[in-house]
Amino acid sequence: MQSAVVSTQTEKDTVQAPARRRLPAGLLVAGLAIAAAVVYLIVANTRSSAVYYMTIAELKHCTTCSSQAVRVMGVVQPGSIERHDQTLSFVITDNRQSLPVVYSGVVPDIFQAGIQVVVEGYYHGQGTFEAQTLLAKCPSKFQAATPTPSSS
Amino acid sequence: MYVSDLGASAILLALLFAIYTPVAAVAGALRQSEALVASARRATLAVAAFLLLASGALVASFLLHDFGVSYVAQHSSLSMPWYYVTAAFYGGQEGSLLYWALTLALFSAIFVVTSRRAPAALVPYVLATLMAIEAFFLVVLATVSSPFVRLAHPPADGVGLNPLLMDPGMLLHPPLLLMGYMSFSLPFAFAVAAMITGRLDSEWLRALRRWMLAAWTIQSAGLLMGAWWAYHVLGWGGYWGWDPVENAALLPWLTATAFLHSTMVQERRGMLKVWNLGLVIASFALSIFGTFEVRSGVISSVHSFAYSTIGSYFLAFLALVIVFSLGLFLFRLPRLRAEQEFDSVVSREGIFLVNNLLLVGIAFATLWGTLFPLISAAMRHEEMSVGAPFYNQVTGPLFLLLLLAMGIGPLLAWRRTSFQALRRNLGLPALLAALCAAILPLLGVPSLWANVAFAVCSFTGSAILYELWRGVRVRHRHGESYVRALLMLFARYRRRYGGYLVHLGLLILAVGVIGSHFFQQQSDATLKPGQQVSIAGYQLVYLGNIEDFYPEKDVVVAQFQIWQHGQLLRYIYPGRQIYHNFSDQPASMISITTYGLTDLYVFLEDWQGAAQATIHIYVNPLTVLVWFGGLVLILGGVVCWWPEPPTSLRSGRLVRPLTIAEATTVSDRSPVQAAQEKAVVASAQAVERSATSPTPGPSDSRSREPGEEVSQ
Repeated sequence: MQSAVVSTQTEKDTVQAPARRRLPAGLLVAGLAIAAAVVYLIVANTRSSAVYYMTIAELKHCTTCSSQAVRVMGVVQPGSIERHDQTLSFVITDNRQSLPVVYSGVVPDIFQAGIQVVVEGYYHGQGTFEAQTLLAKCPSKFQAATPTPSSS
Repeated sequence: MYVSDLGASAILLALLFAIYTPVAAVAGALRQSEALVASARRATLAVAAFLLLASGALVASFLLHDFGVSYVAQHSSLSMPWYYVTAAFYGGQEGSLLYWALTLALFSAIFVVTSRRAPAALVPYVLATLMAIEAFFLVVLATVSSPFVRLAHPPADGVGLNPLLMDPGMLLHPPLLLMGYMSFSLPFAFAVAAMITGRLDSEWLRALRRWMLAAWTIQSAGLLMGAWWAYHVLGWGGYWGWDPVENAALLPWLTATAFLHSTMVQERRGMLKVWNLGLVIASFALSIFGTFEVRSGVISSVHSFAYSTIGSYFLAFLALVIVFSLGLFLFRLPRLRAEQEFDSVVSREGIFLVNNLLLVGIAFATLWGTLFPLISAAMRHEEMSVGAPFYNQVTGPLFLLLLLAMGIGPLLAWRRTSFQALRRNLGLPALLAALCAAILPLLGVPSLWANVAFAVCSFTGSAILYELWRGVRVRHRHGESYVRALLMLFARYRRRYGGYLVHLGLLILAVGVIGSHFFQQQSDATLKPGQQVSIAGYQLVYLGNIEDFYPEKDVVVAQFQIWQHGQLLRYIYPGRQIYHNFSDQPASMISITTYGLTDLYVFLEDWQGAAQATIHIYVNPLTVLVWFGGLVLILGGVVCWWPEPPTSLRSGRLVRPLTIAEATTVSDRSPVQAAQEKAVVASAQAVERSATSPTPGPSDSRSREPGEEVSQ
């Protein structure tokens, strides 16, 4: 305790001294290094893991979608849901075009015909969209924090 | 006349008082009129009373099953048990806003009642700010989002609550998180008041810090409950999905954590004033952003929320908050000159700065990821989004550095630390970390990152325990038993040792996160009775499905046996329940069995008749530690926050204008007693210092009793 009191005295002295020094170099370096690391991590990971949102029409003309994951949103067409063993296939539509999707993985509780879903995955030109994740949008009203179904 | 009409009137009356309060408070402060300020205090209490009335009316409408109220009809039904019916109060948008307004009013009332301790010059402006925020919420509640709107033709039964919300988590998580969001208003109000009056002194900082600590603890509890709920209800085997809504709740928590650290630098050395004010404002703005984002539909989230017009109200309010506080901030900038300079990076304040940069970096990355769909749409005209891998890869390394800093920080002295002191204090932890890094690969932990992370955890853990041990040892030498010495440390230096408890909790939590992130195993299986599936040394034998029919729901459970090493451990029943009014949404009943530190998490994915089930099994090692660590962390927050016993030193030191203050705090201990205690403390510290290091720094265990803090 005594030392704290003493140091207050000396600190007051330094306050009165008008000489203002710059930040010590070590601190500046550490600060810049952290800032640079944050920026680097954000930039690098944004590049590598950003996923495009596309409409079904855009997807049909996409040339890079077999190698880069995209997200597509649509409504599950009634009568199109088929379950085979481990995989699920269905068709999504955005009122103009439709897209067949295959998916294997955990199906959200509320998945059914007529609801809006977001599928994320790859598209090899013609044929079906291979979904890696399937997100369902709840049709009901606001629910206080009902967290993520099926995105592990 | 319905009960709901009473509620609607109560909201209007509360609005009137909420508008009156800022006017009276500011006028009272400008004219030095005590009567006006007292009137503003009473008006604040009136707002709280009317909101209690309004909330009571809504709860009563729910319990009376008054389906003439649209909100009641949409969020409850006759078959729901009374506690979910009550909890449906905050289950929808209108009610959750009312709950927000109610808690703000109650906290404001608590502030009014306890404000004798707050710097008197600030009180009117704090009240004005709080009630201005309250008025905004009440305007929304009275106009676009009223929970008391009546239907012309009441239905016979209500829609009921979404099955996902029919969980014990519903009783705790939303109220805590909403209260957490709300509670950042109080530090913000203090910041605004200080910027207006120009009184940015240590007394102000102490009052602000306590409210921030309360907000931080509540928000921590809300986040933890949210994670727990997700884990128990959603069936994807995890507890944190980096969904925009989860991020929104994490953001103010991160900035508040940063503030709670950097505020110590301001208290001790009079530095970082600008930065600290920025953090307080940012925390509040982010909590409004969180409240708004959840409701606006601006950012698409798997948490779905009905798109509603109130998004634009919140956006306008958020813009107003930012412009207003930025304006004040620039106006006060000349006063916010640092009193001292940084000496060295290897010092307590240096590590606090590092900690702050990391936390703000994590917050920025999280915000960036959350807003990325908007950013990319604006900049490249293509909507893109980032998922969980982005957040894990960006924030993972930063969190790891933060953990490391958490171990080093408490061992550094203020101003500068000598190399020898550093080596002496960090030697043992570093040795343990190296040992851990060497042993873990031998034990078969394959992942490099997991090894690094565990080594960092062992470093920080041993550093914290070593620090605790040193404190206990000093007191033990003074004749206290070890247990009593430990308890006395926590009783006497609440801030410091509460802080260590928070660190310890966070560390345990981190071990849980690392374990479940790197070592989760999962498996899918479709089984017929008698078939089994093996995972991580456990065998699950499927026996068949059992169906039960209740008036409001059907329940299907699959019966399994868990075997290990040829021994039957127990039966489990993962299942689904289908509520009749939400027949399209079979809610999961996940079976979680904990063996040691490993969770066996079984989710019934699909079933056919009585004799086929598809399950998804997750083996989650160490996840238990997330909950345990979280509890320790919250306990630590409470210890830090818990009021210190009043000392005469405090009341003697506080110099305040007595014109407005009604009473000075009266010490319940005599000055002589307090002086004696102080002498004992000082001698104990002197002993500790000499016992541990010749430099005053590392064992710098000064008392944090309020009266003894260094004043600037």
